[in-house]
Amino acid sequence: MEAKDQKKHRKKNSGPKAAKKKKRHLQDLQLGDEEDARKRNPKAFAVQSAVRMARSFHRTQDLKTKKHHIPVVDRTPLEPPPIVVVVMGPPKVGKSTLIQCLIRNFTRQKLTEIRGPVTIVSGKKRRLTIIECGCDINMMIDLAKVADLGAKLFYLSGMVHGEYQNQEIHNLGRFITVMKFRPLTWQTSHPYILADRMEDLTNPEDIRTNIKCDRKVSLYGYLRGAHLKNKSQIHMPGVGDFAVSDISFLPDPCALPEQQKKRCLNEKEKLVYAPLSGVGGVLYDKDAVYVDLGGSHGFQDEVGPTHELVQSLISTHSTIDAKMASSRVTLFSDSKPLGSEDIDNQGLMMPKEEKQMDLNTGRMRRKAIFGDEDESGDSDDEEDDEMSEDDGLENGSSDEEAEEEENAEMTDQYMAVKGIKRRKLELEADSEMDLPAFADSDDDLERSSAEEGEEEEADESSEEEDCTAGEKGISGSKAAGEGSKAGLSPANCQSDHVNLEKSLLMKKAALPTFDSGHCTAEEVFASEDESEESSSLSAEEEDSENEEAIRKKLSKPSQVSSGQKLGPQNFIDETSDIENLLKEEEDYKEENNDSKETSGALKWKEDLSRKAAEAFLRQQQAAPNLRKLIYGTVTEDNEEEDDDTREELGGLFRVNQPDRECKHKADSLDCSRFLVEAPHDWDLEEVMNSIRDCFVTGKWEDDKDATKVLAEDEELYGDFEDLETGDVHKGKSGPNTQNEDIEKEVKEEIDPDEEESAKKKHLDKKRKLKEMFDAEYDEGESTYFDDLKGEMQKQAQLNRAEFEDQDDEARVQYEGFRPGMYVRVEIENVPCEFVQNFDPHYPIILGGLGNSEGNVGYVQMRLKKHRWYKKILKSRDPIIFSVGWRRFQTIPLYYIEDHNGRQRLLKYTPQHMHCGAAFWGPITPQGTGFLAIQSVSGIMPDFRIAATGVVLDLDKSIKIVKKLKLTGFPYKIFKNTSFIKGMFNSALEVAKFEGAVIRTVSGIRGQIKKALRAPEGAFRASFEDKLLMSDIVFMRTWYPVSIPAFYNPVTSLLKPVGEKDTWSGMRTTGQLRLAHGIRLKANKDSLYKPILRQKKHFNSLHIPKALQKALPFKNKPKTQAKAGKVPKDRRRPAVIREPHERKILALLDALSTVHSQKMKKAKEQRHLHNKEHFRAKQKEEEEKLKRQKDLRKKLFRIQGQKERRNQKSSLKGAEGQLQ
Amino acid sequence: MATQAHSLSYAGCNFLRQRLVLSTLSGRPVKIRKIRARDDNPGLRDFEASFIRLLDKITNGSRIEINQTGTTLYYQPGLLCGGSVEHDCSVLRGIGYYLESLLCLAPFMKHPLKIVLRGVTNDQVDPSVDVLKATALPLLKQFGIDGESFELKIVRRGMPPGGGGEVVFSCPVRKVLKPIQLTDPGKIKRIRGMAYSVRVSPQMANRIVDSARSILNKFIPDIYIYTDHMKGVNSGKSPGFGLSLVAETTSGTFLSAELASNPQGQGAAVLPEDLGRNCARLLLEEIYRGGCVDSTNQSLVLLLMTLGQQDVSKVLLGPLSPYTIEFLRHLKSFFQIMFKIETKPCGEELKGGDKVLMTCVGIGFSNLSKTLK
Repeated sequence: MEAKDQKKHRKKNSGPKAAKKKKRHLQDLQLGDEEDARKRNPKAFAVQSAVRMARSFHRTQDLKTKKHHIPVVDRTPLEPPPIVVVVMGPPKVGKSTLIQCLIRNFTRQKLTEIRGPVTIVSGKKRRLTIIECGCDINMMIDLAKVADLGAKLFYLSGMVHGEYQNQEIHNLGRFITVMKFRPLTWQTSHPYILADRMEDLTNPEDIRTNIKCDRKVSLYGYLRGAHLKNKSQIHMPGVGDFAVSDISFLPDPCALPEQQKKRCLNEKEKLVYAPLSGVGGVLYDKDAVYVDLGGSHGFQDEVGPTHELVQSLISTHSTIDAKMASSRVTLFSDSKPLGSEDIDNQGLMMPKEEKQMDLNTGRMRRKAIFGDEDESGDSDDEEDDEMSEDDGLENGSSDEEAEEEENAEMTDQYMAVKGIKRRKLELEADSEMDLPAFADSDDDLERSSAEEGEEEEADESSEEEDCTAGEKGISGSKAAGEGSKAGLSPANCQSDHVNLEKSLLMKKAALPTFDSGHCTAEEVFASEDESEESSSLSAEEEDSENEEAIRKKLSKPSQVSSGQKLGPQNFIDETSDIENLLKEEEDYKEENNDSKETSGALKWKEDLSRKAAEAFLRQQQAAPNLRKLIYGTVTEDNEEEDDDTREELGGLFRVNQPDRECKHKADSLDCSRFLVEAPHDWDLEEVMNSIRDCFVTGKWEDDKDATKVLAEDEELYGDFEDLETGDVHKGKSGPNTQNEDIEKEVKEEIDPDEEESAKKKHLDKKRKLKEMFDAEYDEGESTYFDDLKGEMQKQAQLNRAEFEDQDDEARVQYEGFRPGMYVRVEIENVPCEFVQNFDPHYPIILGGLGNSEGNVGYVQMRLKKHRWYKKILKSRDPIIFSVGWRRFQTIPLYYIEDHNGRQRLLKYTPQHMHCGAAFWGPITPQGTGFLAIQSVSGIMPDFRIAATGVVLDLDKSIKIVKKLKLTGFPYKIFKNTSFIKGMFNSALEVAKFEGAVIRTVSGIRGQIKKALRAPEGAFRASFEDKLLMSDIVFMRTWYPVSIPAFYNPVTSLLKPVGEKDTWSGMRTTGQLRLAHGIRLKANKDSLYKPILRQKKHFNSLHIPKALQKALPFKNKPKTQAKAGKVPKDRRRPAVIREPHERKILALLDALSTVHSQKMKKAKEQRHLHNKEHFRAKQKEEEEKLKRQKDLRKKLFRIQGQKERRNQKSSLKGAEGQLQ
Repeated sequence: MATQAHSLSYAGCNFLRQRLVLSTLSGRPVKIRKIRARDDNPGLRDFEASFIRLLDKITNGSRIEINQTGTTLYYQPGLLCGGSVEHDCSVLRGIGYYLESLLCLAPFMKHPLKIVLRGVTNDQVDPSVDVLKATALPLLKQFGIDGESFELKIVRRGMPPGGGGEVVFSCPVRKVLKPIQLTDPGKIKRIRGMAYSVRVSPQMANRIVDSARSILNKFIPDIYIYTDHMKGVNSGKSPGFGLSLVAETTSGTFLSAELASNPQGQGAAVLPEDLGRNCARLLLEEIYRGGCVDSTNQSLVLLLMTLGQQDVSKVLLGPLSPYTIEFLRHLKSFFQIMFKIETKPCGEELKGGDKVLMTCVGIGFSNLSKTLK
């Protein structure tokens, strides 16, 4: 028994041992160590059936290609935005606790209250934005649109001391950090921001006067999805559509650590940023600094210095004006300090303000213009210029240094005063620096003027402080912060123009078109200035005129030709600028003279350097100039500012300058052809040569030159080929014959080698072919899919590389703000309820809209009722859709498309089928998915998504039809023609339907012919058969239904706090009826009644006598001949019995019945008896027969024996006789 | 209610086509004021009215409001519809005037556009149909707009002032465009041309060909200029002749030049020899300007680059024409797109004038009209 329980030995089927055995087995079979069965036994794998082979091949290919997805260009930014993790669930399940635990897990910090999104650095390359989703369908829908990690369930075992278990949270954190996400089409094609901060920027005065005024808010957050452009349209779910009025990027408040070779983050790098929850510390903003002084844990390293700064700012007591009055400036080391009173004495006034748009940031700046500076400044400048060169140089450098020192000292106190002098110094410095080399590019100047820019910034800020004393503490530090941004300050502008002018002077024929455009523009400007000179009597104008005169002298007439004009932005220079230019001009002239006088001997050298400088300048300047030419130094819509810059006469009248741009080109010919203004003389050899290389006959680039490539490949022919190209390169057709001669000679020289070389060449060619073939064969077929993928990859690389080397300011201009940036978006005209009823628990999403996605039209979609939704949806019942970023209520019509493309209205959606839905609403790109819900308000126990689907088509008109039957009645019937009335009301209506098909209920088809005069709307119609007067004629037509233009965005965020989930829009008719207790009035005709059927009465058949006669006998009606009358005498009288007799009769009847019954019984009995008897008789008979048979048997036997005996005896006798 | 995208406002009749086309594509309404307000004959001209009618034909739901004097135009674009359309163009401008805008719009229709345009096929102002056929169509193919139905057929030629020409333009629709990288113009491998003459001696065309060849032969031997003499109903209503030349490079770039004779009764008669020579010189000028796209189609290529996916597109152009410069400004105001503009100096190579490298990131435009099946 024990032995049976033991396990049977199991052979190893895998593992080293099995492998070894297998090998040994194979060796035993003398199959060698060939692993591949296909090679070992090729016969077994031979092609048996070509068809099956083809099928299996198809199948494998199908399976392979099924795995492919359409490749898309990878547009994820290098530094992606934080991943949005939404924590959702019913109330009181511990969502906040979970978030708290997660934050603690990642950052070792504890947040007491979670409000709004919390951004944390979770790893070296990953950041998370965690947001809690409450129990509100609006919120759920919105967050689902921005969530990267949504629908995942994670099991947590329970709480310990009000927190989840550390290990489990750790696991969950790990799960989140390694998670990979599938990019969604909508998200990758639209920019969006999950705002984590909101500020109200409305003027407090406006709010005071009208508390319900529209607000201006700024919203902050990481930009996700796609590039966002300034001034684009956005949608805020729950609020509405807006245009971005301004957008700027800010330093990342929760930046990823810089690349360090470490395994994990240190504590400093584990940042957490949640402004709505009160975490985030100091925030530097464009126009303010926000300091959270209490309870902040973030930015621990930064808290110290900032705190100090803030404290110092807070502790300032005197106002800026007071400080300014008391401050003194030392301009030169040995001069006496200047006070504000000194300046007043000089008669300087406060500078005029002038608005200017910065090119890079698109920001407004207010620039100071010093009206009185002009005269005095000019004279000063001129005096300065008269100083000797070397002096100037020294002065310049020393001045600059001095400036820088000052710069460091004076941060925010009194720039406005100093600015005037400073500017002059700057100009000097600039000119000094520029003059010797002529090679200062824009960039250089920008760099050099970066510090100046800073000063200007400070200037500006100080001005601002004058205006708004409220901000005084903060703006100082802000100015310092902004100083680093080298915007295009006015000084910069000036220097640009200086450069520009120079290039104009120096360039001869280079860049004819651009320059000429520029030149003409200036000319135009000049001429206009001149024309208006009489009216404007200011000194500036005279100056500018002088300048123009100089310029005219210098500019070549050939350049003044093209019809290009500049936008006004480019040359709406402030008058002061013009002065500066003028001065520069003079400087340059002087310098020119100087150089000529002093360095006459080294003239050629000077020229060399100048040429080099020229070339360099051209390169450096062309691009920015062209850019400026096209887009202007200022960004768009600066017309208001332009107005401001116009000079005013005596502060009363404004000089009305006609728009220069408009005057010249607004009404000119609209033609895309680019006419040649100054044609080259194509007969000249050098002109012809200038485009030689554009032709295949010209010289090729080294890498593409076939001859060169060949030469590299085959050194053998190098000499030979080189000779030929050399000849071609000379570009002379004359000495062709000579060349051929030379070639022949060469050929003759190398003749003995020719055969060998030919052989070699042939071999080489073969080798190359083979290599090519091998490469192609081994590489694996590069399929279409691979090619496509490669292309996408290349595009992605190009996308990344193209703007990589540019700074963010410039990139933003070209690409828009890229995803991953922390941006601040300003929005105007926001309803006041948005600010008043702001609830940080509710997410604020800024969803970017594409072109014309802000428009409305008819949207057609494929829709299917959700299978969990209990009812079916009814046409014309308002329903709430969530499409794209939007949630809105609209009135859809459901339809189904017939096989002929007709869209037929449905009253209700089908139960289990797709149908079409059309509504009037915002245009959303095709292919966008959507969901529909019946209501967003309140908590319903049986809430379900009503329908889902996809957008199919957008249009501005739509044709959905419903069935319409028109009926009429004949009032006169001819043969096949009838007159029908009652179908139409007028002859005009009939005319519209001429030729239409009509039908009777009984199925006779016909056609409408022509209207009749008599009863209005009657017509003649022809049918395939004669009608009856009782026939009803009807016509089937289709009637277009109109879609109600009802589009009502769900503005749930505008509801008061705590009631945000109570938005209710239009009610359905059913709901209204229920609410008002109105019962539906049924049409009486539609009610069901008991069916009363009349008995049908048929008349008897009547056959005419003549016909009866003619009928054969068989078919003649067989009517019985009537019996003759019984004569009276034969009629027997009716017997009327007496009661007594009747009784007797009844008795007799009864008796006879009894008798007959008895007889019947007796008969039966007899019958039975007879049967019995018969059976007995039969039995007897049988027995008798049997007996007789036996007897006969006996008898025959005896008889037989007897006979035998007799025979025996006779035989004996005979035998005896025989014997 | 959804706020209508804020409208843009312009003054003057110049660049009317650009504005209306961009408005249609971007969905932003546009208002144009002061159209020839100070002119003796104020308001829109016939050819502009015809253009607006054409836009109305190919769109659905557009709203066009013109004031009494015709000096103010408000255009609220609808969706591009397309389909089979016929249009009688004004004879004041060539068909090219209308066709240029159609080339911009045609790929973004709901139904493939098949349009018959009647009017002046070749004139001295607008790019002729021949040139557009030879240059713009290959350009569109670079963006993935291709197919059998993509063609421009010249049925009849019509010269100003009478007109009477007819062309058929059909174009398939696309949902998205491919980004392009056209930075290498290649080298010119052949020059083709079309010398046409209607209602004049057929010898005119041959004379043009000879004179044009005499100039171009110095540069490249592969020249073939077709002569196209149209007779009868195909020759339109006015006499005239002209030449259009197209240089094709190894990398599929087409540069074009053209000249047409003076319209009947306007200006002095032009000798065909002079015309041929001048046209050849114009082609050389165009080659001198260079770039991957010729000067007529600069705005078209920039538009299609803008309307691409959110990918980088690059194109090398010759000097920008004033029309293109204004177009770039319009692109900025309608689509917030700015191009990166780099000047490529010619340097030592003998390849004509300076070039401009234009780079942009597409706005991720998708054809909102096309129906999803």
